[in-house]
Amino acid sequence: MVYSQTKTNMEKQDHLKSLLQVVNLKKYFPMKQGVLLKTKQYIKAVDDISLIINKGETVGIVGESGCGKSTLGRTLIRLHKPTEGKIFYKGQDITSASEDTLRKSIRKEIQMIFQDPYASLNPRKTLKKTIIEPLHAHRIFLKSIDRLNRVKELLETVGLDAIHMNRYPHEFSGGQRQRIGIARALALQPEVVIADEAVSALDVSIQAQIINLLQRLQTDLGLTYIFISHDLSVVRHISDRVAVMYLGKMMELAATEQLYGNPAHPYTQALLSAVPTTKGSKKERIVLQGELPNASSPPSGCVFHTRCPMAMSICKEVVPDVKAIQPNHYVACHLSDI
Amino acid sequence: MKNMPNLLEIKNLKTHFVSKKNTVPAVDGVSLSIKQGETVAIVGESGCGKSITSLSIMQLVPEPNGEIVGGTILFNGKNLLECTEEEMCHVRGKDVSMIFQDPMTSLNPVLTIGEQLMEVVVHHQKKSKQAAYERAISLLKMVGFSNPEDIMKNYPHRLSGGMRQRVMIAMAMICNPSLLIADEPTTALDVTIQAQIIELMKELNDQYATSILLITHDLGIVSEMAEKVVVMYAGQVVEEASVEELFSNALHPYTEGLIRSIPVMEGERKELYSIPGNVPSPEDFPDHCRFATRCSKAFARCFQGQPNLIQQTETQFVRCFLYEE
Ligand SMILES: Nc1ncnc2c1ncn2[C@@H]1O[C@H](COP(=O)(O)OP(=O)(O)OP(=O)(O)O)[C@@H](O)[C@H]1O
Ligand SMILES: Nc1ncnc2c1ncn2[C@@H]1O[C@H](COP(=O)(O)OP(=O)(O)OP(=O)(O)O)[C@@H](O)[C@H]1O
Ligand code: SF4
Ligand code: SF4
Ligand SMILES: [Mg+2]
Ligand SMILES: [Mg+2]
Repeated sequence: MVYSQTKTNMEKQDHLKSLLQVVNLKKYFPMKQGVLLKTKQYIKAVDDISLIINKGETVGIVGESGCGKSTLGRTLIRLHKPTEGKIFYKGQDITSASEDTLRKSIRKEIQMIFQDPYASLNPRKTLKKTIIEPLHAHRIFLKSIDRLNRVKELLETVGLDAIHMNRYPHEFSGGQRQRIGIARALALQPEVVIADEAVSALDVSIQAQIINLLQRLQTDLGLTYIFISHDLSVVRHISDRVAVMYLGKMMELAATEQLYGNPAHPYTQALLSAVPTTKGSKKERIVLQGELPNASSPPSGCVFHTRCPMAMSICKEVVPDVKAIQPNHYVACHLSDI
Repeated sequence: MKNMPNLLEIKNLKTHFVSKKNTVPAVDGVSLSIKQGETVAIVGESGCGKSITSLSIMQLVPEPNGEIVGGTILFNGKNLLECTEEEMCHVRGKDVSMIFQDPMTSLNPVLTIGEQLMEVVVHHQKKSKQAAYERAISLLKMVGFSNPEDIMKNYPHRLSGGMRQRVMIAMAMICNPSLLIADEPTTALDVTIQAQIIELMKELNDQYATSILLITHDLGIVSEMAEKVVVMYAGQVVEEASVEELFSNALHPYTEGLIRSIPVMEGERKELYSIPGNVPSPEDFPDHCRFATRCSKAFARCFQGQPNLIQQTETQFVRCFLYEE
């Protein structure tokens, strides 16, 4: 608790001191429409998200498939152009910075580990090339021997064998490819790493090895992580704070202990109840009723009301604001008004 | 379950990657069997040969280097390794279907989801386009899409990672196969949809006695779905056990380490346990116990030869000198 108090104080400080800040960020994708349709429809993948990320912390992002986690990550590093809202990095507005400006700052300092390792690796580049080329492009090491040593060192830290440096991506297993993506992201000695399901294809022992590595780098170098994952135990382990998303919106944001111990939002409560465990016998799951609504026509009012066991009449009509129910614990739910 | 005949029986399977430089024995003498209606899980360290084992069953081992160099794969008593490519085409997708680990590599980027799903039904079940459309819609609903009509019209790259994975699952289930091979089917899925998919697989298993070969690193899912677990390490089976035995009395030191590495939902957050060291690369597997360099229980004999898979109980087998007389 002492811990989250200090974080709160940090948040109250000058926002310019935060490392990364998003303000009312939106990313809408236009839908393919029939020839006769005049009004354009959009998929509201990220819909009005505000978030401050401080140097040296890990913010976990969880939420159902298709709720906009990857889109949020990709928009943060400007792989997508935001539809609305602002993104600040080190106090500088990068919302509409040119590709040239981006290349000088965030293209090196913020790295993303992509969700689909296979699709994000160039099939015609060997493992060695994949990692050496960005080192070259950003002039991290001037001597080729240093670059090569760096590659070897990186491969070792993620548990890949340097004798496989000349292999192509398809010659690796799924988990090995995922670790290539991790090595590539760490190669440039970034300040921020956005890890999108970065350990999801790894067995628990290698997963533990990678997570310990990430945490060690954080302690030693002050790295900042945005950790997107569906694995709630891994998120709990690695994160200082956790944000819960649903249909492009943020439902709850709190310090990890607080969120897991005292979830305030009905959606967070449902999520936490569904975690499979190896303890005890096969349990009946509480499957959330109804389906994830369509992101192109989200429900009115609270977007969760079609599935919420606690829904009230106001929920259909009024969008709940994100409010602090405690220092550093934010919730978007009408129940917190009662 | 006990008296059911084996639906699938793999004996001493060897799948190697052969190039001018070296031979990679990715799968090195694997045996396992699945009865009708049974769910068997394969777990093991990344790179230990789980995907190549399952691709071998489908005879989709990556060309040009990959080759099945030994063993038999009996499906309903018939050796799949002796089938012609035409016969295999018939088996694939209809009798045996597979959810691949990489959804993007197995979905066609230039066809809509609808075209791909309907193609499978029309091809294998000789149904009309209308019937195929309805079947596809109902499957997409079952894997948790509230707007299946929209999804049908979409191209794979416009879907999120988990949405693609669910499309793959729908495609694998669409013809009610008798064996479903699911290679990390829920890695990209959050717990609620994961729960839905698990229920769906259980239902398939109950209603149609579909057998399931489940490859996953998520031991929570293993304990929930599987009856039998096969633990692989460095191209070999090192332990086979009922799911109860595995979680209450794992015998192999590797299995013990794996179970110890599971992050927990309760209690203090301390550094996670991971098995020290790295798995040897297939091109230089040692000629002694393959786990010896990382094993805390290793003794002299472990560096002198290879242990055999030894039966311990009716259902539990282990490959370790600690259990050999
Ligand atoms: N085309 C290839 N050429 C050479 N080696 C290969 C090739 N494909 C796979 N391998 C190797 O074969 C071994 C087994 O790979 P496989 O994909 O079966 O692993 P896996 O158990 O499924 O791992 P993961 O959990 O990471 O998916 C790995 O060491 C991998 O590097
Ligand atoms: N390039 C794109 N074009 C059109 N729609 C897109 C595109 N990328 C994502 N979407 C849509 O935006 C929504 C959010 O997708 P996103 O990939 O951010 O989800 P996610 O939370 O990462 O899900 P998952 O856990 O399944 O990876 C989805 O409805 C998806 O179909
Ligand atoms: S606002 Fe209403 S519908 Fe939304 S989560 Fe709260 S109680 Fe449920
Ligand atoms: S044979 Fe020896 S080295 Fe191998 S797992 Fe058993 S005890 Fe460990
Ligand atoms: Mg995603
Ligand atoms: Mg695999």
